[in-house]
Amino acid sequence: MNGEKNPDTRAEQTGVTDAEIVLGVSAAFSGPSRGLGIELYRGANAYFEHVNGAGGIRGRKVVLKTYDDGYQPNPAVTNTMTLVQQDQVFALFGYVGTPTVTRVLPMLKKFQQQNAYLFFPFTGAQPQREPPYGDFAFNLRASYRQETAGLVDNFVSIGNERIAVFYQADAYGRSGWAGVRLAMSQHGLQIVGEATYRRGAKFSGSMRRQVEILKQANPSAVICIGSYAACAAFLRDAVDLGLEVPIANLSFVGSENLLKLITEGREDSRRYTNLLVNSQVVPSYEDTSIPAVKQYREMMDRFDPQPPSHVLKEDYSSFSHSFVSLEGFLNAKLMVEILRRLGDQPDRDKLEDAVFTIRDFDIGIAERVSFGPDRRQGLQQVYYTVVEADRFVTLKSWEDRFAS
Amino acid sequence: MKIQKLFQKTLVGIFFLFAVISLSTSALCIYTVDTHLSAEYESNSRGIAKTIADSSVDILLNRDLSALQSLIDQFIEIQGISYIYITSEHGEFLAHTFVPGIPAEIAESDHSSRAAVERNLPGMGDFVEVSSPILAGVAGAVHIGMDTGLIALKIQRAVGQQVYLISFIFIIGVFSAIWLVRLAARPIDSVIAYAARLARERNKDSSDDTLLARDDEVGQLARLFLYFSTVKDPDKAQGAPSGRPI
Repeated sequence: MNGEKNPDTRAEQTGVTDAEIVLGVSAAFSGPSRGLGIELYRGANAYFEHVNGAGGIRGRKVVLKTYDDGYQPNPAVTNTMTLVQQDQVFALFGYVGTPTVTRVLPMLKKFQQQNAYLFFPFTGAQPQREPPYGDFAFNLRASYRQETAGLVDNFVSIGNERIAVFYQADAYGRSGWAGVRLAMSQHGLQIVGEATYRRGAKFSGSMRRQVEILKQANPSAVICIGSYAACAAFLRDAVDLGLEVPIANLSFVGSENLLKLITEGREDSRRYTNLLVNSQVVPSYEDTSIPAVKQYREMMDRFDPQPPSHVLKEDYSSFSHSFVSLEGFLNAKLMVEILRRLGDQPDRDKLEDAVFTIRDFDIGIAERVSFGPDRRQGLQQVYYTVVEADRFVTLKSWEDRFAS
Repeated sequence: MKIQKLFQKTLVGIFFLFAVISLSTSALCIYTVDTHLSAEYESNSRGIAKTIADSSVDILLNRDLSALQSLIDQFIEIQGISYIYITSEHGEFLAHTFVPGIPAEIAESDHSSRAAVERNLPGMGDFVEVSSPILAGVAGAVHIGMDTGLIALKIQRAVGQQVYLISFIFIIGVFSAIWLVRLAARPIDSVIAYAARLARERNKDSSDDTLLARDDEVGQLARLFLYFSTVKDPDKAQGAPSGRPI
């Protein structure tokens, strides 16, 4: 889907030509979190390929201009500058990560005269959901606050009130930590222990010191706010060192990548996964009774979208289906709907108004999507999944699964 | 040629002089660099702490803590700053940069103090910590830890460079001194040889015109030796043998 723009004068102004609508993407296509950027891109591309194959949006194909930021803030800022000023894309789409997006937001404010909006970043952090930068981004997924509140509420409901936090030492980790802290305070509780790791940690690294720190707090549950490589390493070391309490992860973790790391080459993988619970912001991709899931699976199978080769630096074995690519797919579906509502002459100045026309929109899952001046997040629901037979399935009962 | 004992003492004196110069300048260098760098680091850290504190007010009152974390993450990249943490007015940690966790020494310390504190954190090193209140302290405080090991490293580098320079000057000085000593010792050797020859060949013509013509102390000595060798009774001698001053 990475095409070169036509040398059209209007393209220089708006990112739209008679043939294309160009969206700009800066995401992690390299480094330990590349699985997130790649899967999000693949899911979105499956739907864009479907739309483009059917003639595009009023004759225009959707083209993604992609750059790799490696999940690092400074490259994300540089890429955004290039996308807005040099490439003059129509909108920014599908960014990955809190530390990257929080640094990009001030730039969007700087470019506010150009209406450079960010659509559906893969992060549940608050900065793009509230002033002073909330006006420059539109979110589809539920927030980390909602995810962490759901996890805390459910743990507390089954008597696991001693909750510790393992988190990435950056804005993403702090956002999740703040969510847990807020949710705990609403129950009159406090976080009993915390440990951190540096962004970019690999699965081969040790998390034993972090486990030892948390063990001293004697928690009854641990909520992890990290990426899949670090969280899988923590889970491995926690089980190995006897910290046998429920260990929860947020949607950002990239569940399939985590599961792959923790189960690959292990015969006793159930020992590592039976206390694992991951919150998700999209429904299970195994539930084909959901129309959007059925459509997603069909298009992923039909198009088998590949990651953008020009930014791919390392080998990556993609998943046929994943929560992250399903989220990318839903992002693309909503983006296409917004672009359709812009009419024959897509104009960035009218983009925000077009988004606000999305009311009770059926995206194909149970929850309907609405946007408005005071509502810049489309979905609110959080789902919980556990591992059964080496795959994530919907958690049916917290009590049955985790009550001690 | 054997260096005269008198000049050996001069060389030893040069050695001692260089040693004193090296030690005193190194000590002064250590003191100056340490004092200035420590003061500069502390001043910069206080400035950064105040900047973060001023910027934090709006974030703490109106925004999510991830924005606060994003703010301090940008400052931690500054050389010499090892850690930053922000505490609430109740001493609760709101954001920090510690990995894998908050050190016990810091978790248990008094966060209300605004004076610079020296800390030794096991496994991390030695630090000087400065603080700045947020909203006059009613919203908490920003704390910044400077790595004193970095200052020590800079001192080592500065002193090391100075030692290299002094060593170079010392080597040049020693070779120069040897050369000068040899230059000075050569005429003395000549006059000694001349005196010995005069003693051995008392009744022969042993005059050395080059030596006797010299207009310095060596020439004077040579003329004096010649004079003593040519008079029978030196006590009755009236003047210089060649009419030149002895």
